[in-house]
Amino acid sequence: MKRVGVFVCWCGSNIAATVDIERVIAAARKMPNVVYASDNKYMCSELGQASIRESIEKENITRVVIASCSPRMHENTFRKTVAAAGLNPFYLEIANIREHCSWVHKEGEVGTVKAISLVRTAVAKAARNEPLTPSSLQITKRALVIGAGIAGIQAALDIADSGYQVDLVEKEPSIGGRMAQLDKTFPTLDCSACILTPKMVDVAQHDNITLHTYSVVEKVDGYVGNFTATIRKKSRGIDMEKCTGCGICYEKCPVKVDSEFEAGMAKRRAIYVPFPQAVPNKPVIDRENCRYFTQGKCKVCQKLCPAGAVDYELEDEVLTVEYGAIVVATGFDILDLQAYGEYGYGKHPDVLTSLEFERLVNASGPTGGKILRPSDGKPPRTVAFIQCVGSRDQAKGKAYCSKVCCMYTAKHAILLREKVPGAKPIVFYIDVRTPGKDYEEFYNRATDEYGATYIRGQVGKVYPEGDRLIIRGVDSLSARPVELEVDMVVLAVAVTARADAAGVGRMLGITTNAHQFFNEAHPKLRPVETHSAGIYLAGMCQGPKDIPEAVAQASAAAVKVVGLLNKDSLVGNPTVANVDESMCSGCLECTQVCPYDAIKEKSITERRGRETLTRTVAEVNEGLCQGCGACSVACRPGANNLKGFTNEQILAEVDAVCL
Amino acid sequence: MNLTEKMRQEAAQILESKEADLVIGWGGGEYYWQSPPLFLEDAAGAAELAFSPFIVNNLAKYLLEELESHEKAALFVKGCDTRGINRLLQDHRIQREAVLLIGVPCAGLADREKLKAAGYDAGLLQVERQGDSFILTLEGEEGAREVPAGEFLLDKCLECRYPNPLVYDRLLGEEVQKPRERDPMARVREVQKKPVDEKYAYWQEKLSRCIRCYACRNVCPACNCRECIFDQNAPRWVGKANQLSEKQNYNIIRSFHIAGRCIDCGECQRACPMDIPLMEINRKIIQDLTELYGEYEAGIDPTDVPPLGTYRAEDPAGFSER
Repeated sequence: MKRVGVFVCWCGSNIAATVDIERVIAAARKMPNVVYASDNKYMCSELGQASIRESIEKENITRVVIASCSPRMHENTFRKTVAAAGLNPFYLEIANIREHCSWVHKEGEVGTVKAISLVRTAVAKAARNEPLTPSSLQITKRALVIGAGIAGIQAALDIADSGYQVDLVEKEPSIGGRMAQLDKTFPTLDCSACILTPKMVDVAQHDNITLHTYSVVEKVDGYVGNFTATIRKKSRGIDMEKCTGCGICYEKCPVKVDSEFEAGMAKRRAIYVPFPQAVPNKPVIDRENCRYFTQGKCKVCQKLCPAGAVDYELEDEVLTVEYGAIVVATGFDILDLQAYGEYGYGKHPDVLTSLEFERLVNASGPTGGKILRPSDGKPPRTVAFIQCVGSRDQAKGKAYCSKVCCMYTAKHAILLREKVPGAKPIVFYIDVRTPGKDYEEFYNRATDEYGATYIRGQVGKVYPEGDRLIIRGVDSLSARPVELEVDMVVLAVAVTARADAAGVGRMLGITTNAHQFFNEAHPKLRPVETHSAGIYLAGMCQGPKDIPEAVAQASAAAVKVVGLLNKDSLVGNPTVANVDESMCSGCLECTQVCPYDAIKEKSITERRGRETLTRTVAEVNEGLCQGCGACSVACRPGANNLKGFTNEQILAEVDAVCL
Repeated sequence: MNLTEKMRQEAAQILESKEADLVIGWGGGEYYWQSPPLFLEDAAGAAELAFSPFIVNNLAKYLLEELESHEKAALFVKGCDTRGINRLLQDHRIQREAVLLIGVPCAGLADREKLKAAGYDAGLLQVERQGDSFILTLEGEEGAREVPAGEFLLDKCLECRYPNPLVYDRLLGEEVQKPRERDPMARVREVQKKPVDEKYAYWQEKLSRCIRCYACRNVCPACNCRECIFDQNAPRWVGKANQLSEKQNYNIIRSFHIAGRCIDCGECQRACPMDIPLMEINRKIIQDLTELYGEYEAGIDPTDVPPLGTYRAEDPAGFSER
């Protein structure tokens, strides 16, 4: 028979002032299996814990119920106490008579009756508690960082500097991401390339970083400490060993297509390096546009290459690598403007997105840094900047604030004034949001020193008249309609999650929110962790943020990775699900409801009479299982059972509450 | 060639050509209203197959056992039966390649109780469907009598939405048209309108009749677990005592286990010897799920995922929000 000891805590006056401790103890002594009950003013104190240990030994107690505060508070404390007395730590059961009784019931009677009921429930469960032993998991001392924008670069550098091997995977031919496309950065106006490029070089030269550009992660299996990723290194058509990066190949390539890096503002060749500071600074053949791959003829680049590095026959390389931790830093896209016809984007060449304007301002951009109208190459005299295009728009766009637009629009206004003397920046805004160090001051410079005009209100229509653009809107402060003639319109387009974010989330077993940004484990207290242990988030893929925030988050994610890889082994959570194969029908509903992708199907063979049958059952991966119990609820015959919270234990609790 | 002859020919051909090593169909019984299942491994047995307006049993569930000892089973299926097939496919209980489905369009089946009530039971030898009529073959001088089929259909057939098989490999006969004559949700709304006390008394009365015979579970294609929780002793989910609370518990758990999975075939209610309106519970749940997760009909497409059988972060958290 189980010998249950009940220990009731006063929590000073927190519990004792409302709950009648004496009555609880008297009731506990009459409960089935209870051999001992006592109280203490502070059970969690050293004295309180010692009294528990002594009573366990003296009374030969085999299961322990502590009626005290929430298990979130002291379950771990008391598990250690129980273990110190020589019992399995999972023989402990806590009845929460503080948060559930004294704190929510003013009347002593109600609180006391409920406390007795909760103790009876805990006693019923404790009598069915089985010993649980956490498993020990090995850790592969290598990290994977997906995405090599500023967040991925920072995370990779920090992990590598801490002495661990990192594989940095980037789907584009060069690392650098969105930050490489930007001109200046707010609020200090230092040039984006000047601060980013050294970091890109650091990545390329770091002994602990293996760079996989033009590569995609196709599959991730496994669990914390033991992930296995399949990485496809797409063929560049270039032998990277032989190529010297001389650039002759792309000077002579006859094909011209829109450059992704230049946001379509300039052309690139079919064999190309995305931008001059690219890392690696070696070209890639765009097979969709290359004349040899589309028409079977050309080979100009191969003929001209002095190193003989161009090889059209090179095939994709598929790597399978094991990792202990993963950082997801897949970045963002900008909103497709199809729903915003009123701004004339795509119809008039002088209506630009802010990313296109960014390239126009950039010294290495299509105009060499001169702000010129795409339509006639003349410098604009008046430029209208329209904010919140798709952001804060529940009807057509995204309900959220894109966070960076207010600041970069102020930056654009300043840059316009610096580059085109006498030009007039006019900003249409809903609210100007500048929380951040030196941000409000930066905005003030735009208005006070650089004379940017801010009009509070939204634009209803942009249309051409002659060679200029007419803007119609409303000034909501004076409630008057506004009509302006301008030379250029720049749209601060909403940032969005990557189009494939939901798919990437499914691959990794991490969730996305309604806008496909990846979910952090806790919005305040676990902002870089995901719900899947060992997978961390950095940068815009988690939600809109600026460069300093992305970098800070990347470093935070790196610390989490390093903290994990520093451990010799991981202690598994023993309260995981397991499947009774004899009962499992193989309907696999549990695999569908599992938020952690921890359950897979498996084939078993069994004898039935003279026949040997093969059938499907579910199998739980204990490394991935977080013990949420969703499978156990979904399983109709009850084949899925959560250790520490078995169906038997929960039914016993229900009976104890009801009887 | 009538449907009985077509069924026989088809079954014989399947077994002779070894397309399947088992054919499951309906046979004729001693009485006009019987249609016991037939399990044929030999073409010679095909002559025992019979089509009648009483082939109400869904043969799909026999597959669970039969496919353990047979490579491939051919099965005759009506529209409602095919939703059961889809249920089993979706639950991964059978493989589509292991079954050969012979579709049988069905314009509605006859209700012996209604024939009885009209005084036709004694001396009735055979009932045949002809257009909108049933032809009753009677003992004695009268011989045959034609009655309107609509008056003698099973209640559940009056609510039928899928008279033609949804999934099949071959189809016998022509597809039939049979629009719903009754709104199956009408009763749910009626019961729902009752004041709480009255509703509780209503269900107490209905569920107190339950004799725990488990016919509703046994006939249900969604109840296909290897080991049903009602048969388990440890843990003992539901007590065996003959008391109302245990009866309520059984019926509520049964309906929860098929929530979002019920194919709306009405077999549980038809099989119930105590006339408990089980479909009112099942359909109330269907209605609730539609409100919560949008229109969903179980057993239509085996590749989709039942609303309660999936995890999505954005699912409504109805309980906590109220």
